Amino acid sequence: MAAVPAMSVQTISPGEMQLLLSRAGLILNPGQVADLVLAWRQVEVLIASIRQDRPLADDMALAFRLPPPSTSVSPPVAPARPATKAKAKSPAQAKPKAKAKAKAKSAKRRTPPSPPRKGARRGR
Amino acid sequence: MTAPRAPFLTIAEAGRLIATKRLSPVELAKELLARIEAIDPQLNSYLLVTERQALTAARAAERAVMAGRRTPLLGIPVAYKDIYETAGVRTTAQSRILADNVPEHDAETIRRLGAEGAVMLGKLATHEFAIGGPAFDLPWPPARNPWDTRRFTGGSSSGSGAAVAAGLALGALGSDTGGSIRLPAAYCGIAGIRPTPGLVSRRGVIPLAPSLDTAGPMAWTAMDCAILLDALAGHDPLDPASVPGPPGSYASAVAAPIRGLRVGVLRRFYEHDVPAAPEMLQMMSHAAATLRGLGCRVEDASLPSVQEYNAVGRVIISAEAYALHEATLKTRLADYSRVFRVRVLAGALIRAADYIAAQRRRADLIAATAQAFGRFDVLITAPTAGTPPLLTEQRPDDGFSRPLLTTVANVAAVPSMVVCGGFTPAGLPLGLEIIGPAWGDATVLRVGHHFEQAAETRTRRPEL
Repeated sequence: MAAVPAMSVQTISPGEMQLLLSRAGLILNPGQVADLVLAWRQVEVLIASIRQDRPLADDMALAFRLPPPSTSVSPPVAPARPATKAKAKSPAQAKPKAKAKAKAKSAKRRTPPSPPRKGARRGR
Repeated sequence: MTAPRAPFLTIAEAGRLIATKRLSPVELAKELLARIEAIDPQLNSYLLVTERQALTAARAAERAVMAGRRTPLLGIPVAYKDIYETAGVRTTAQSRILADNVPEHDAETIRRLGAEGAVMLGKLATHEFAIGGPAFDLPWPPARNPWDTRRFTGGSSSGSGAAVAAGLALGALGSDTGGSIRLPAAYCGIAGIRPTPGLVSRRGVIPLAPSLDTAGPMAWTAMDCAILLDALAGHDPLDPASVPGPPGSYASAVAAPIRGLRVGVLRRFYEHDVPAAPEMLQMMSHAAATLRGLGCRVEDASLPSVQEYNAVGRVIISAEAYALHEATLKTRLADYSRVFRVRVLAGALIRAADYIAAQRRRADLIAATAQAFGRFDVLITAPTAGTPPLLTEQRPDDGFSRPLLTTVANVAAVPSMVVCGGFTPAGLPLGLEIIGPAWGDATVLRVGHHFEQAAETRTRRPEL
């Protein structure tokens, strides 16, 4: 892959500086412009010294790490079960199970949230 | 209960005395507050002393001790660089821009130290928004070096370095984007660690350049830094850059012997890239010999030049700092100090392509640095070219014109600490920098601790 050559150092002219300042939307007094020219001359040298011979195909240095999917996110929808299975259960069998489910649900509601683990807080 | 030489106790010593009820947290806080009142006018290390809150916290700590609570930081007086947000307590970043800023919440780091029983004495001086240098055109004067008050403390955690060295706080928090914990640690003769990025939460710490910012502890010894880091480290789910670090206690890890560790000396850094003064070269030779005497295998090591790391770091810092301050710079330019304007305004002219080139080159430098740790457990270098310069010698554009040895670790995203390496014949401190691989914070602290013990650099304090 082709490498990008490093930029050569140029000393900025007063006209170019004014152009850059107006592009940046900055209004500076002459003393502030003089300070900026002083700093910019050095920053220009730093920029020019940064090697840019990284192959273009290399990845960008910026990375975005998404958090792992949280448990509150619904899992992908499973295909519907064949209707015949549900029909196979008698109402008598289904009723106690539904009651148990409701009981468990109300118990869950009563359970206070667990405190954060010490290890999780300190993280080490 | 009495406090023997209370202001000069280490955190470890004070913690033991408090735990055994031989030192009262209230008496300790009172002694330090009195010393701040007497000494700090020479140093300007505090922007704000929170006496009432300190005594309230110290009384609570004392009650907790009497009730049997034991934590290493219970009743320990500390102070925070004024970029850490503190609930209900003014947080200015030493800038007119935030002169009336009273945060609603504590930074996560402040919350953690408070939960461990630490006692906040106040807010410490910084360079404006943690960048620049000593400024004389702000409402607060710059901090002065306790070893010689005509001299610079290093920055930007200038108040943290001065206060700890002078016995005005047993520990402090600083922040480090290009060396802001380690430079004042070096110039003020104390210890300070810039931890692996992500190990310590930055939530509630006023940012400078988010790609490089790190929060970390400063104290008299490496062991004290380890004790503080035990409380500070840990995953903060509300800080997107925070990650769970390795398990275990840093304070317990530092005592393990260092025999057999492979130490690389970055000799070219301080002999060629940033040529150091003869007394610094001599100190580095002694440091290498001391580590050899402790059973380490000491050899020369090599990394890309300091200038390469600095070019990348300076471009990233200028661009990111300008981006964060752009809106305010356009409306309140005259309210910033001249040194801040010189260091940050240039960021307005950096092109996006140049910023991205810096970030891409950073990836190479991170990889090159990581490779060196295949051969070495830690690398050592001088953190500065010499002793602290006079305050009047500081130029607003120093950050660009003089490469900083400390910026290497920021760009490389690795932990690095400075401990006191020795003193010049004139009595000025010289720092020793110890750099480790990512997540090698415990090893860095361990080497720092054993070096301090062997070199006996913790036996003198500044006379004020």
